[in-house]
Amino acid sequence: MKKRNVRAEKTITFCNGPGCMHLESTKIIDALKQELQKRDLSYKDVKITISGCLGMCEQGPIVIVNPGYIIYGKVKLSDVSQIVEEHIIKNKPVVRLTIEQNHLYNRFFRVFGDIDFFGKQMRIALRNCGIIDPENIDDYLSVRGYEALAKVLTDLTPEQVIEQIKISGLRGRGGAGFPTGLKWEFTRKAAGDVKYVICNADEGDPGAFMDRSAIEGDPHSVIEGIIIGGYAIGATEGKVYIRAEYPLAIKRLEKAIKDAREHGFLGKNILGTDFSFDIEIRLGAGAFVCGEETALIHSIEGSRGMPRPRPPFPSVSGLFGKPTLINNVETWTNIPVIILDGAKWFSSIGTEKSKGTKVFAVAGKIKNTGLVEVPMGTTLREIVYDIGGGIPNGKKFKAIQTGGPSGGCLPEAYLDVPVDYESLSKAGSIMGSGGMIVIDEDSCMVNIARFFLEFTQNESCGKCTPCREGTKRMLEILTRIVEGKGQSGDIEKLERLGETIKKASLCGLGQSAPNPVLSTIKNFRHEYEEHINDKKCTAGECQALLSYTISDKCIGCTACKKVCPVNAITGQVKNKHIIDQQKCIKCGQCVQACKFDAIVKG
Amino acid sequence: MATPIEKIKTKRAEALNRIISKGYLSTKRVYVGMATCEIAAGSKEVMAVFKENINNGLTDVYLSQKGCAGRCNLEPTVEVIEEGKIPVKYGKVTPDMAKEIIEKHLKKGEIIDEWVIK
Repeated sequence: MKKRNVRAEKTITFCNGPGCMHLESTKIIDALKQELQKRDLSYKDVKITISGCLGMCEQGPIVIVNPGYIIYGKVKLSDVSQIVEEHIIKNKPVVRLTIEQNHLYNRFFRVFGDIDFFGKQMRIALRNCGIIDPENIDDYLSVRGYEALAKVLTDLTPEQVIEQIKISGLRGRGGAGFPTGLKWEFTRKAAGDVKYVICNADEGDPGAFMDRSAIEGDPHSVIEGIIIGGYAIGATEGKVYIRAEYPLAIKRLEKAIKDAREHGFLGKNILGTDFSFDIEIRLGAGAFVCGEETALIHSIEGSRGMPRPRPPFPSVSGLFGKPTLINNVETWTNIPVIILDGAKWFSSIGTEKSKGTKVFAVAGKIKNTGLVEVPMGTTLREIVYDIGGGIPNGKKFKAIQTGGPSGGCLPEAYLDVPVDYESLSKAGSIMGSGGMIVIDEDSCMVNIARFFLEFTQNESCGKCTPCREGTKRMLEILTRIVEGKGQSGDIEKLERLGETIKKASLCGLGQSAPNPVLSTIKNFRHEYEEHINDKKCTAGECQALLSYTISDKCIGCTACKKVCPVNAITGQVKNKHIIDQQKCIKCGQCVQACKFDAIVKG
Repeated sequence: MATPIEKIKTKRAEALNRIISKGYLSTKRVYVGMATCEIAAGSKEVMAVFKENINNGLTDVYLSQKGCAGRCNLEPTVEVIEEGKIPVKYGKVTPDMAKEIIEKHLKKGEIIDEWVIK
């Protein structure tokens, strides 16, 4: 047999949260290692992992033993030998040290906790994603599904629900970070016989897929959150606005709504109470601007998706002119956890002004691409290196782009910035809805800025002239820069246009469209200058600025000459070859054909 | 009259019973990732292999789909969960690998270590 089971039988996880670590955690880890050694237990039997903050700071230091998700609290040095003796060897958990473990958050830890990528995360919004069958309401019920709704309907008045959300400190996860509890309160207090609740699932940032994954993996959490919101503000109707490009998410959402109706969680007299509420799905055609709340409301009403000035805010005059509560998918999925695990507990996670966790879709030049949910205040470095595994192929980190087309690019100097609304915007980027793209030395920052601007330019609805015309002009300038036709003064022009568009546009799309350009100019001005003045792209990405030359490593094998489609390479066998720069179309085929690394790109 | 809380407790108990009657207490539970991203990576074909084997007499296995856990570049993922053991997570599973997981892991209890996500 060539395959042998070398996996650990048990995993012992230490919480690395700031609360636990300054207690005795590090000493306890050492003691545990000694204890295991003394008993001749190796890595095959026990794997020790370090997690991120597990959200149980008050009872720290926390130690979790899997399988079984047994949580020990207030562990002391003197407890270590008993845990090893009884739990690890005899498989009997030490009851006197165990603490409550029926919380909703971090359920995924039971299945995935021993893998570093997951083990360093904390999952509130994505708590059930990847561990339950999203199309089976029984699976959701078995993980305390709809218990938060039942608790609200049994024990809390709408005002008390809003109070809980306010205490939790939850802020909108769609990007702007407005305090959710306040929004709920405004909508509750707004005058109106009819009120609406909307779930904004119009996820449009390139590379972002948090909302799709949340709906596809756990649609009932979203629905439960929306129903609680409806109860709190006094609405009877909810809408989920989701783009038609998400067919599977729509299918699962439809099934979940149908199942919820059959179980009496939606419809008339929910769970036998006086409260009635139902949800309808509205499909969007995938216009980026419809993620903006007033444009979204116009789209549901059947008009063109265009923003309008605020105030009045939707909480006063929204859908069909009625008070409307609009939150995004991730915000809604947090609600059941706040109700069941406690608003006070929720507010203990994160930083002073940003509470709870945030989901990021991490993509680009990083080893572990994927969905990452971490407590607010986690640094970009921890996300990129501890969870993301760093940059592949030994390349150098260059920048991280957060917040999608509305965000900015932050260079290495900002890697220790904690992720929260204020810190990111202070650094010159934004939290946004959670897109995160890692950029390595092989990527050209001018080209990246051009990519994002091309996106917002295409998606500009055309209402405001600065956004419609200004982004077009900026794109023209960027295009000529990457094509090697940049002119002196272009950088200043971009800056002036950018500032004007930011100031003179109505909605978030226009106000933030220049951000990728302005932040790359701020942090990578030399790359722009190099493109314009020296007609050079160090990253080697801008085709027009590249030149290929043959170095002395050439042995004259003729391989490059044979593949060149335009016969730009000349040279005799066993003699150094030459590339005719006039003829060369910079296709790069010769580089691949050369076995001696003789062709230099630069 | 029963309060909503009491009702939800009854509903939960009923749901658990239904899940158990579908074979949840089998020795091994198999979860196949079936979100858009997983399906694009080929998980439908992997799921088909498990279904076919169960239809052809593979017993003592509870098969379920699941959403995306978020480990994009290792999809499709398959978990094999046994009570009292650390769940085994396989990454980049192909239909052929699924067949081997059935033969070795599900039938004989041999974990195929080189495919396990660590």
